[in-house]
Amino acid sequence: MEKRLVKKDELLRIVKKVGAEFNVFAPVRVEDNVLFKSLAPGEEPLLTFANTKNAPKGVFFPRTEVMIRYVRTPKGTVLKGVELEARDAVLFGVRPCDARSFVLLDLLFDQDKYKDPYYVAKREKATVVTLACTPVPYTACFCTSVGGGPVDGTGSDVLVTDIGDAYLVEFLTPKGERLVKYFGEAKATAEAENKKETAAKEAIEQIKSVIPAREVKPILDVSFDHPFWDTIHKRCLACGTCTYLCPTCHCFDISDEMKYDDGRRLRNWDSCMFPLFTKETSGHNPRPTQKERWRQRVMHKFKYYVDNFNAVACVGCGRCVMYCPVNIDIRKIVEDISKLQQ
Amino acid sequence: MQNPYVPYPVEVIKIVTEVDTKDIKTFRLAFVNKEDEERFKYLPGQFAELSLFGKGESPIGIASSPTNPGYIEFTVQKAGVVTTALHEMEEGTMMGVRGPLGNSWPIEYLEGKNIVVVGGGFAFTTLRAMIQYMLNDGNRKRFGKITTIYGARTPGLLIYKDELEAWSKRDDMELHVTVDKGDETWKGREGFVPTICKEVAPSAEDAVTVICGPPIMIRFTLPVFFDLGFSKENIYTSLEMRMKCGIGKCGRCNVGSKYVCKDGPVFSLAELDRLTPEY
Ligand SMILES: Cc1cc2nc3c(=O)[nH]c(=O)nc-3n(C[C@H](O)[C@H](O)[C@H](O)COP(=O)(O)OP(=O)(O)OC[C@H]3O[C@@H](n4cnc5c(N)ncnc54)[C@H](O)[C@@H]3O)c2cc1C
Ligand code: SF4
Ligand code: SF4
Ligand code: FES
Repeated sequence: MEKRLVKKDELLRIVKKVGAEFNVFAPVRVEDNVLFKSLAPGEEPLLTFANTKNAPKGVFFPRTEVMIRYVRTPKGTVLKGVELEARDAVLFGVRPCDARSFVLLDLLFDQDKYKDPYYVAKREKATVVTLACTPVPYTACFCTSVGGGPVDGTGSDVLVTDIGDAYLVEFLTPKGERLVKYFGEAKATAEAENKKETAAKEAIEQIKSVIPAREVKPILDVSFDHPFWDTIHKRCLACGTCTYLCPTCHCFDISDEMKYDDGRRLRNWDSCMFPLFTKETSGHNPRPTQKERWRQRVMHKFKYYVDNFNAVACVGCGRCVMYCPVNIDIRKIVEDISKLQQ
Repeated sequence: MQNPYVPYPVEVIKIVTEVDTKDIKTFRLAFVNKEDEERFKYLPGQFAELSLFGKGESPIGIASSPTNPGYIEFTVQKAGVVTTALHEMEEGTMMGVRGPLGNSWPIEYLEGKNIVVVGGGFAFTTLRAMIQYMLNDGNRKRFGKITTIYGARTPGLLIYKDELEAWSKRDDMELHVTVDKGDETWKGREGFVPTICKEVAPSAEDAVTVICGPPIMIRFTLPVFFDLGFSKENIYTSLEMRMKCGIGKCGRCNVGSKYVCKDGPVFSLAELDRLTPEY
């Protein structure tokens, strides 16, 4: 594995060089928010930030995207083209939790039987450069409970760790190694690697939020009808914030739109928190109240995903915890479930 | 990479209005490209997304059998946006089909067994496909005795009337057609499907039941079959959930950890017992 040492004031210049060849996505300040978005020409990414409000999954699975274009003809409306464009991209400054979410999304979108070509095309063209969390950004972070860590490289092609006086840059995959040439000639020293280990240990210690994320699975297996489900949802506004910000949520809607004779089929993020999500034309809704919808959200992340992919569908980023307008806290829910009496 | 979201172009070659209320029609579709027809290899019980550009898509069970090549058929009730647009279409129109999707009736498991087919209302579609499949000359000997019980509220609401007539003349299938309430011209049975099932009382020996119909019919019919000695492993049904992608990605049709679009729509009652009752 290639490793380089990069001086503190070099990193921005490196990103700029990369940007001359690749479409770079990175954290930038937009009004009051730090967002993960495509860098405009000349725009500089943030190097010190907590995490982006939106999850970088949007690069591969955009909030809205055109799938198909079609056109009206006298014999009916027919296919005009399929929108499958993907450019070589570098995602710079992804946090380890969000990089991990890509691996979880791959499990779903990149299966043997059905590959989602829109996701896979963009994902294959992208190189993920992760900026480790030294220090850990939020008290709501709980990545270590779900198999991740503040300096963990899962899902990353390159891992950049701030070791105080410099950055240690580790090229973890062949895709990542294509970027070595941008990062100078200074090889990593044993001292730098030691510093990284220390920084990683310190970061893990900074994480105070620990939840039994894996442990609740056998309890969830037998708790579908537990009265506990009556206790979570009552103040939920069904706003969908938790699912839209979540790096692992993947539900979407497909809809059609026509203007004159031209039309397009779009996919948009959707949310299991919305009442209409499962409502059928007959009026029947298998999840009629917010109670069933919240149960679905918890079950999907901590049981169904484990059943199907042997992975918890939460990376512990803390976004849903921090941004829920009525302070519903998934950490507390999981904690409570672990104590349920059967 | 094959794009599972892009429908195959098809032409509507025949439309049959099935019922006297005119809100259920059968659409016969022919593939525009021969290769697409070959790629669309299906079995009875599977479904497809009928795709109308500009309107949207609807998951609909395949009502025809692969033993009748050259076309595929769908029987559709007019319900909302897409199905209404379908009902307004004329023969000769181009549209799209995405699929085949989902699993099928458990053909391999059914082989060599006696088959009891129970249908109610217009949910008879993929059962009709199964019957066509079993009655096919080359296939008939793969299955034992076939007993079909099919009911609708009124004679005018029975679908596939010509085919029912033709089946009633065959001696290699027992057919019981019933209506809740007959009219002046109705000479057949009267009575609800569960009652007729009790009367017919098919033997549970080496037998499997496949059942589709309105939830209320299913609720009252199942106890009849349990009493006859059918186990939950030997009763199969097909579920409906709201769907979009049809391939287990959009996340809306799950029952427990199974996606009805991908792991279903056909499940045995034993399998359903292991899932959560959320459908
Ligand atoms: C596996 C399966 C097989 C089916 N087979 C048949 C059939 O053979 N004949 C038939 O008439 N109907 C069938 N249905 C029901 C049919 O899919 C809905 O009636 C239809 O999608 C309504 O669409 P719409 O656009 O007219 O209604 P709208 O209310 O305008 O539709 C909104 C969208 O919601 C979704 N949707 C709404 N209700 C349902 C539902 N019950 N099931 C699935 N998706 C839904 C569709 O994506 C639809 O495009 C089947 C459903 C499933 C899941
Ligand atoms: S469930 Fe909440 S904490 Fe977990 S990944 Fe999603 S937004 Fe982050
Ligand atoms: S963010 Fe909070 S209020 Fe909004 S849907 Fe999620 S749990 Fe409900
Ligand atoms: S319809 Fe999308 S997951 Fe089943």
